[in-house]
Amino acid sequence: MRGARSNNGAAAIVAAALSFFIACAALATDDIPRKAETCIACHGPGGNSTDPGMPSLAGQPAQFISMQLYMFREGNRKDPQMTPIASALSNADMNELASYFSRQKPAAPSHRTAAENAAAGRRLAEQHHCVQCHGPALLGLQHIPRLAGQQFAYLKAQLRGFKASTRFDMDGQMSSAAQPLSDKDIEILADYLSGLGGQ
Amino acid sequence: MSISSASTVSLTRAMSHAAAALLALGGFAAHAQQQAKPAAAPTPPPSWQQGRSAEQEKSTLHPFAIHVTGKPAKELPVDKLKVPAGFKVEVWVDGVPAARSMALGDKGTVFVGNRQAKNVYAVVNRGGKREVKTVLKGLDTPNGVAFRKGTLYVAERHRITRYDGIEDRLDNPPEGKVVIDNLDPNKAPGHFWKFLAMGPDGKLYFNIGAPGNIVMPSYREGSISRVDPKSGIMENVAMGVRNSVGFDWHPKTKELWFTNHARDWLSDDLPNDTLHRVTRKGLHFGYPFCHQGDTLDPVYGKGRDCKEFTPPALKLGAHVAPIGMRFYTGKMFPAEYQNNIFIALRGSWNRTIKQGYNVTRVTFDEKGSPKAQPFLTGFLVDEKADPPMWGRPSDVMVMRDGSLLVSDDHNGIIYRVSYGKK
Repeated sequence: MRGARSNNGAAAIVAAALSFFIACAALATDDIPRKAETCIACHGPGGNSTDPGMPSLAGQPAQFISMQLYMFREGNRKDPQMTPIASALSNADMNELASYFSRQKPAAPSHRTAAENAAAGRRLAEQHHCVQCHGPALLGLQHIPRLAGQQFAYLKAQLRGFKASTRFDMDGQMSSAAQPLSDKDIEILADYLSGLGGQ
Repeated sequence: MSISSASTVSLTRAMSHAAAALLALGGFAAHAQQQAKPAAAPTPPPSWQQGRSAEQEKSTLHPFAIHVTGKPAKELPVDKLKVPAGFKVEVWVDGVPAARSMALGDKGTVFVGNRQAKNVYAVVNRGGKREVKTVLKGLDTPNGVAFRKGTLYVAERHRITRYDGIEDRLDNPPEGKVVIDNLDPNKAPGHFWKFLAMGPDGKLYFNIGAPGNIVMPSYREGSISRVDPKSGIMENVAMGVRNSVGFDWHPKTKELWFTNHARDWLSDDLPNDTLHRVTRKGLHFGYPFCHQGDTLDPVYGKGRDCKEFTPPALKLGAHVAPIGMRFYTGKMFPAEYQNNIFIALRGSWNRTIKQGYNVTRVTFDEKGSPKAQPFLTGFLVDEKADPPMWGRPSDVMVMRDGSLLVSDDHNGIIYRVSYGKK
């Protein structure tokens, strides 16, 4: 009995310590880097975009964010808004921003997938090997972006860009994967992905 | 087979085999499609998955991406790096994006190429302080760098260029002059980055990797080739080489030695990545028919015999990913290191239990047989974790003082290994 009680006591101390550390971690997370304020103006608070054409950054893998910023600055990926913003960032800035947005919680998707596209979208995601790199739940990893819950119009624009070989592609994988997609496939895929939740 | 005389049936076959080429014909392909109605070509899997067996379809193994923006050394456990007694390892410079191949200029500039950025960087000594400069911009996969008599040579994905007298004008480099172009006419997938080194014969040696994991290469893919910078004439030197991104010449025999990456998705322990010796021009080292000198490929090995091919000098371990290699010719390390080989093993991804992730030393016994042992370790943290490491050695280079530089493209860092009090 005594043993059990002292275990409880120890557990309570551990729990208190843990909640303290979690609170500290939450505080640290809320501490928005000054440079992120520019990003938030378009990508939304915490990197959760509400504009269908503007990608969400919340919960994206840090390596994906830093690599895209780098590619914008170096001129590999081009965008009239992002290119000048990225050109002012150092590698350390990019790492800091990537770390911040990767730690933010993605909001539940506001997009609602059409009923007839849920199964069809999943089928396309498997048939065209999206799940092979972006992961079974399309949450991304390393330098590969999270697609689940990404903005609908943005996803469509990227897929069309890959198909037309106008969107920067690090190693040719996406340009190659997008070739067989019809306009309708792109519509269904984007509709499916944009409505996906998950952490 | 001529397309214009093809029957509908053979045209269907041509469509499935060469869909991309036919699609390029635009209207003609559309017309053919109406007549033959072939099934749409299936989406190919990503190239790193090519060659997976049906049982491996659920495999969670995947390559590891680098931090292209780099990581400062102070954020990394560099104190975990280990070298043999008497040696010392330290961070030489950080902030060299995706640092991979290194070349040493006559005046001490260290030129650094990479696979992911568009620039070539230089590390220079300015007032006793090391500084990283961007010297060349807007290149395509400038992985290979070589230096000889005042000239920097750069191997991009599709061409080799030369920059004469560059060390005197690092802030205002000369325009590149093309040595050879059209090395990648099809924008081939797979191993399109090139390693570059200048041989004792004054010719530039480079790899043209296989365009996939396990595929039939064309007559000039899966090779090490050379080009004479004076004439621009190119020749194949070694064939059946899946992808070699490190080679050097033996200081005494002047023979070419190279490292080679073997295919993926056969098993955890097969086949080995390898070290090879080139005794003469024109040898075939086995790919895609025979791996590691003794293992026939399950698909391409049918009807072949490993005796047709030149075996490796040494098996280095499965999936260990040998990149840069150099013979040690410096005066700083103990005498027994003379003419040993150092190899940067970038480490395995296509293996359940990870291995490699070190700089390996190859010694030779009295009969000249090579043997490998780890020299610089500590990058691998947990062989079962994802990712298992914090850094990846990608090239080695002997400096004039005899110390050894080691690049780490994962973090954009170059380390220096020295011996004694130096």
